[in-house]
Amino acid sequence: MNILDSKIPEGQLEEKWTKYKASQKLVNPANKRKLDIIVVGTGLAGASAAASLGALGFKVKVFCISDSPRRAHSIAAQGGINAAKNYQNDGDSVGRLFYDTIKGGDYRAREANVYRLAEVSNNIIDQCVAQGVPFARDYAGMLDNRSFGGTQVSRTFYAKGQTGQQLLLGAYSALSKQIKDGNVELFERREMMDLVIVNQRARGIITRNLTNGELESWSANAVILATGGYGNVYFLSTNAMNSNGAAAVKCYHKGALFANPCYVQIHPTCIPVHGNYQSKLTLMSESLRNDGRIWVPKDREVAQKIREGVLKAKDVKEEDRDYYLERRYPAFGNLVPRDIASRAAKERCDAGFGVGKTGFAVFLDFKEAIQRLGKHKVEERYGNLFQMYEKIVDENPYETPMMIYPAVHYTMGGLWVDYELQTTIKGLFALGEANFSDHGANRLGASALMQGLADGYFVIPYTIQNYLSDQIYDDAKVSNQSIEFKEAIEGVREKIEKLMSINGSQSVDTLQRKLGNIMWEYVGMGRNKEGLQKAIVMLKDLKEEFWKDVRITDNSITMNQELEKAIRLADHIELAQIIALDALQREESCGGHFREEHTTNDGEAKRDDENYMYVAAWQYNGDNIEPIMHKENLDYQFIKVQQRNYK
Amino acid sequence: MKLIQISSITKKIALAAFGLFLLLFLPVHLGINLCILRDDGGLWYRAASHFMGTNYIVKVFEIVLMACVAFHIIIAIIITIENFFARPVRYKVRIKSKTSLGSRYMIWTGGIIACFLVLHFINFYFVKHGLIEGKYTASIEKVDAFFQENAIKMQNGELSDEKKNALIAQYQNISEVSSDKMDKERKNLINLTKQEVKKYCGEDFTEYEPDFYTMSIELFKNKTYSIIYLLVFIALGLHLSHAIKSLAQTLGLSHKTYNPFIVFVANFYAIVIPIGFAIIPLAIMF
Amino acid sequence: MKFKLNIWRQKDAKSKGYFQRYDIDNISPDCSFLEMLDILNESLVDKFEHPVCFDNDCREGICGMCGLYINGQAHGPDSGVTTCQLHMRRFTDGQTITIEPWRAKPFPIIKDLVVDRSAFDKIIQEGGYISVTTGGVVDGNSIPISKEKADKAMDAASCIGCGACVAACKNASAMLFVSAKVSQFSLLPQGKIEAKTRVQKMVSKMNELGFGGCTNTYACQAECPKSISRENIARLNREFIIAKTTSEELF
Repeated sequence: MNILDSKIPEGQLEEKWTKYKASQKLVNPANKRKLDIIVVGTGLAGASAAASLGALGFKVKVFCISDSPRRAHSIAAQGGINAAKNYQNDGDSVGRLFYDTIKGGDYRAREANVYRLAEVSNNIIDQCVAQGVPFARDYAGMLDNRSFGGTQVSRTFYAKGQTGQQLLLGAYSALSKQIKDGNVELFERREMMDLVIVNQRARGIITRNLTNGELESWSANAVILATGGYGNVYFLSTNAMNSNGAAAVKCYHKGALFANPCYVQIHPTCIPVHGNYQSKLTLMSESLRNDGRIWVPKDREVAQKIREGVLKAKDVKEEDRDYYLERRYPAFGNLVPRDIASRAAKERCDAGFGVGKTGFAVFLDFKEAIQRLGKHKVEERYGNLFQMYEKIVDENPYETPMMIYPAVHYTMGGLWVDYELQTTIKGLFALGEANFSDHGANRLGASALMQGLADGYFVIPYTIQNYLSDQIYDDAKVSNQSIEFKEAIEGVREKIEKLMSINGSQSVDTLQRKLGNIMWEYVGMGRNKEGLQKAIVMLKDLKEEFWKDVRITDNSITMNQELEKAIRLADHIELAQIIALDALQREESCGGHFREEHTTNDGEAKRDDENYMYVAAWQYNGDNIEPIMHKENLDYQFIKVQQRNYK
Repeated sequence: MKLIQISSITKKIALAAFGLFLLLFLPVHLGINLCILRDDGGLWYRAASHFMGTNYIVKVFEIVLMACVAFHIIIAIIITIENFFARPVRYKVRIKSKTSLGSRYMIWTGGIIACFLVLHFINFYFVKHGLIEGKYTASIEKVDAFFQENAIKMQNGELSDEKKNALIAQYQNISEVSSDKMDKERKNLINLTKQEVKKYCGEDFTEYEPDFYTMSIELFKNKTYSIIYLLVFIALGLHLSHAIKSLAQTLGLSHKTYNPFIVFVANFYAIVIPIGFAIIPLAIMF
Repeated sequence: MKFKLNIWRQKDAKSKGYFQRYDIDNISPDCSFLEMLDILNESLVDKFEHPVCFDNDCREGICGMCGLYINGQAHGPDSGVTTCQLHMRRFTDGQTITIEPWRAKPFPIIKDLVVDRSAFDKIIQEGGYISVTTGGVVDGNSIPISKEKADKAMDAASCIGCGACVAACKNASAMLFVSAKVSQFSLLPQGKIEAKTRVQKMVSKMNELGFGGCTNTYACQAECPKSISRENIARLNREFIIAKTTSEELF
């Protein structure tokens, strides 16, 4: 039997979730108090899950890598959150949101999960309003919406350009209340070091206290992983410095399957790299593409002059500019989906038309918008973004065009989960960006916030009970002093000691940059067989290099940021390997995964639905042994699969 | 560190409320002070001093005012100490954030004003309560009445020889009193030392009052005192420049419509009042 | 560009700290302040020295994790930005830069430039929320909120909890932080129900944790990377007075 049982309920699409809720097993209120749940991560998914489960009466322990749950990187989402409220009366519905999400994900997501996501999207808005999230309002005092990411309806709710922040603070406040009430215990500055499995069930975790370096063991009846994505494998990404995929890798090592690692979303409107010392990239809202026009010079020599600083962008004549998105995609123009816009920018720069000091940037020009709308209107719409750009780049975007370049932004892949968000390890659940379930091969704008909160507020509080209902009786209560915990803690200690004793010649950052370069070069926006094979070899070498040559000079037992980074990097290299493997096996182009061999005649992505309409889930098979791939076939029963076309 | 277990905001509100009362008193004091500039030989000024010194309502207010001063100072000190201990390890580089001068040095300007207040009390308030000797004034009418009373007693043979001699001496003295010991309208004796009071008004005469006018003029003629006085009022200006805006902030009064009014009052207090006070020594000195 | 750095080093909470001099060269003016520290740390690792610990996360000015007191200013000389968004072009070549951690009694130092700001979480836990649990809420549009109020609430809510207000305040007061949260909820109808208890509990927690009191100097507003207005403090005071004088327990 396939180990991937997605447990999708029977029945019509619209009825599945309702039926599931009506028939699932529940935990008696008196018993909830006896059940411990560990939540790792305090972003939207983690905080909302911990708050909801705490409110239900479970005993929750929540672990946060930063000094406060409010730091989680969900906070950086700017644009908004989708919901099928149809407040604008423009024809939106749960069905349409579902359809848009599936189509946007290039038909690589599970229908039932996505439909459920669309269904609970409305509850999220109500919940957040009740929490005091200051969503934008219109003059009648009603919730305002905007259109986002090329959809035909206005369904995006927003709070200025800080929607992620406000939603996270909403979840954080709900969590804070539960902490105050004693239902949830918060442990900050803790990083998960290992998952502990007892009798084939997830029973606890090992954490490292980042303040004093102590290793701690925690037992529970279930473990929820909400640790976000792994974009930082690419070194330069829009992810926060502490965001990492290490916790997910620990679970992968313990037997949880890792699904679709190759689906990595590249965001087209980031501020370009300006030097090799750069630590991360800054994202600017996609909404800029609503009014900005993207171009590069038509002539390579002109581009060269701009790079050298001899010629200014504003002095390039109109007829010498190549508005390549408008030229190639006349119907959608500058508003094509993220993956298409990103690839087109890379294509132009690789062909030698790029601008900026490094040659890896394209112009995003507001001259026409300023002429059409007036500076005032442009300022009203994008003022804060322009200001941010000016702070970073020191150029005034009202006068000279902005420069942008794509950067890794979000990872659709993650731990494989079933309909109940349970991984292949019993008792281990994965939420939010850490799982793979809802976005398929590509995520639409304003959907990440929706998914994180849907999982945390409205899915896991139900589905986890179905698992926990029989965990009261048997030997479900495990002590954190048991042999399994002691072994796990010993394993972590050995690993740390090994890292500390290498004493090589390269700093962690140097090696991390090397990893990033390999990934961006060969497993980035455009991939091909040859490059991927090369990357796999290089990654193997890098792994060896790392374990031989990393240097950690800080040997103190207190806070040790070098060691933290090294531990994460070790896992990121492993993760990079399965990303490359997954990208190699997927002989098609879909969503965030673009294989240069698989294109239509005019260079567009070409899907292969016949052979690749499946989820690839990777099973760990031991150190330096190729993992085993399992397939979960995607069976589209309710919608018709179509080719994406934005021409 | 907490010296008293009251909310920091409550303390601030109390500080503001006591300060508010002091603010209300300032124009009154200024009004009286300005009388000194009237070219009437101190007539108005003395009349005002007399009113302030004898009216019962004013006397009640005086107690309230003193209490306000005391509480304002005590709370300010408590707040400052508590706030100091909120940062036990100080920065190496001093805080450079943009803040108004007045707000930053509130406790210092307050301290300067408090020191001046002590000096002021020594010069005037203590004199009034007989703790320190100053200059005195007495109504000639009252001195006359007191003399008549004693004269009748003498005629009735009720006075001892000693007192008889004293009364005769007083009679001689007062008839020889020089004109600078009398005000323009020749209704009051002025500029008297305690000894002179006894000399001109008799040993047992009690209805004399401090001669604030003469004392003020004398003080202001002293350049050192005048310069200190001017500096103190610069400090007061700084103190007031923050005081009223801060008061509004502490009491939660912030509204688009009323804010300009608050700013107006604040500026009025910060500029007009200290200038009003400062005019006096300048006018007297030059 | 070249800089002389004067950095506070402290091994752990209990050890005694000291200032260490470092010279750094070849810094691009486009480099961010934290990237400059990254470069310094790499050079320290090269020399087998211990790198400088400092808190940072999103590096785009929204998470509130970073925060250094640079040459006498919280988040350094630029206005309206966090330390991660401060760029080296704001300094002059050859300048001496003194970097200190946030200093306040409720923010004990963990190591080097890293401080413990969990005091902020404790204040929020006292009442910085609306006590709804998941589910069972009304439709979002059934609570109309005027645009003006929603916008004001949003302005207050944009606080990132970095602690610059405390660091910049001569009294190490957390009033701007507390007032931002109190304001956000007192402006919204949803928050009105618990308004009176919220303000009292949060203020008393703030005092208990050892933050100083507000003396209205507004250094907090000047250094706040999100430009949170001091008007919020006035609103907090007003809410506090109302709560103290009209709370149900009194009558």
